[in-house]
Amino acid sequence: MTNALTVSGLTKTYQDFVLDQVSFSVPSGSIVGLIGENGAGKSTTIHAALGLIQKEAGQVSVLGREGLDGETREEIGVVFDGSNYPEILSPRKLNRVMKNIYRSWDETAYFRLLKQFSLPPEKRIKQFSKGMKMKLAISVALSHHSRLLILDEATSGLDPVIRDDILDMLLDFVQEEDHSILVSSHITSDLEKIADYIVFIHEGKVVFSRPKDELVEQYGIIKCGAAQFDALDKTDMIVYRKMDCEWQVLVADREKMQKKYPKAMVVPATIDEIMLLYVKGEK
Amino acid sequence: MKGVLLKDLYIARSNILVTVVSLVVLGFGLSFLLETSALLVLAPVASTTAVFISITSDAASRWNKNVITMPVSRGQIIGEKFVFYILLAVLGLITALLPCLALGFFGADITLYSLCLYGAIGISATLLAGGISLPCACLFDPEKSQIVFMMSFMASTGMIAGIVLLTNLFIPVKENILLAFHIVLAISAVWFFVSCRVAVKIYQKRDIT
Repeated sequence: MTNALTVSGLTKTYQDFVLDQVSFSVPSGSIVGLIGENGAGKSTTIHAALGLIQKEAGQVSVLGREGLDGETREEIGVVFDGSNYPEILSPRKLNRVMKNIYRSWDETAYFRLLKQFSLPPEKRIKQFSKGMKMKLAISVALSHHSRLLILDEATSGLDPVIRDDILDMLLDFVQEEDHSILVSSHITSDLEKIADYIVFIHEGKVVFSRPKDELVEQYGIIKCGAAQFDALDKTDMIVYRKMDCEWQVLVADREKMQKKYPKAMVVPATIDEIMLLYVKGEK
Repeated sequence: MKGVLLKDLYIARSNILVTVVSLVVLGFGLSFLLETSALLVLAPVASTTAVFISITSDAASRWNKNVITMPVSRGQIIGEKFVFYILLAVLGLITALLPCLALGFFGADITLYSLCLYGAIGISATLLAGGISLPCACLFDPEKSQIVFMMSFMASTGMIAGIVLLTNLFIPVKENILLAFHIVLAISAVWFFVSCRVAVKIYQKRDIT
């Protein structure tokens, strides 16, 4: 399987934050969810991969090409949080602008998407709601035959109905086998619905990069008391956290653990819970 | 670059209309007080304010972060602002010529000499000011840029005076006023071009977030 995006050893140092040797890939035809708490390094990773910020070390390969030349940029669609288009423009004027930026701009597809999202072509962007602005940004990203979509916190701050519309749109996009998506979000429930792989970044480092199904179907949480916790084999624990009246232990294979500790309560772990345990738990 | 320029023209369109109307009115007003041709000094400078409106708008919508992910190079993003600036200055100059020609047609004392002289001063002031303010507007935040923008016109006046004084060391300016201001114009054009190159070079390595 080829990769639409490969990031290896990406490093960037700020005064109070270090993006430390971040490596992961987005296989062609898949959706990769980049998760992590606010300030974990998701946006910095995306900014560095897109060349918005200068990286100190590391390699980025996009659609089989090293770096981001004009040809590659033609084939990627990027959506940031907010619309990032001059608010004085209307979608129709934006079409004229984009027609002169992208060689592969598809006017018909753009207006079809505007219609599908019920976006008025003549209304100024400043009169749009946040959801409408996001839909417009996605319409632009999908109207130049992109093969890779990169969305940075694109669904945050949107209501569940609009988020669901956008997730459907992303699932439609990835039906083509050479289409891929990298989506960063701290709304893990969205990623649970659509992602094939989850990359978890914490304090500037990749904690894990795994298929989502493996996390959802195999990972589990042992909920137990102090005595039972003491009896657990420490090598079975990924991380643990002491709550008010119980211990929570993240394990990689919940069925195996259930057999090993028949008296323990082993429950499936959501991505949210996995993330919380990694961030707040101990090793 | 064409798409980015079109975007800026859309942003500037409403302001251009205000500028054009003001210049025409000012032109007829000046004809009663001073030489109408003096409008050619003000017009290019006044017209270029639209560039700073577009830079402020870009900063507000974080357009640059977006456009960098498109098939537009960083050099083109900055270069376009300089091209747009020149375009507006020329547009301002042409607009100012309209009342001059109209009044000349009705017998006002407008000569080719005065048009060339004031035109050269106007364009020189615009290029010198742009050479200072444009790189700052592209590299600093909007608040700082606005201060630099206002200061740049004062600075350009001082720079013109300085160049004229220097020229006077080699050519007697009083006898060759037009030639002296054409030298100022040539130096201003070089200054503007160098400023553009420097701004592009700095912007290449800048983090955009």
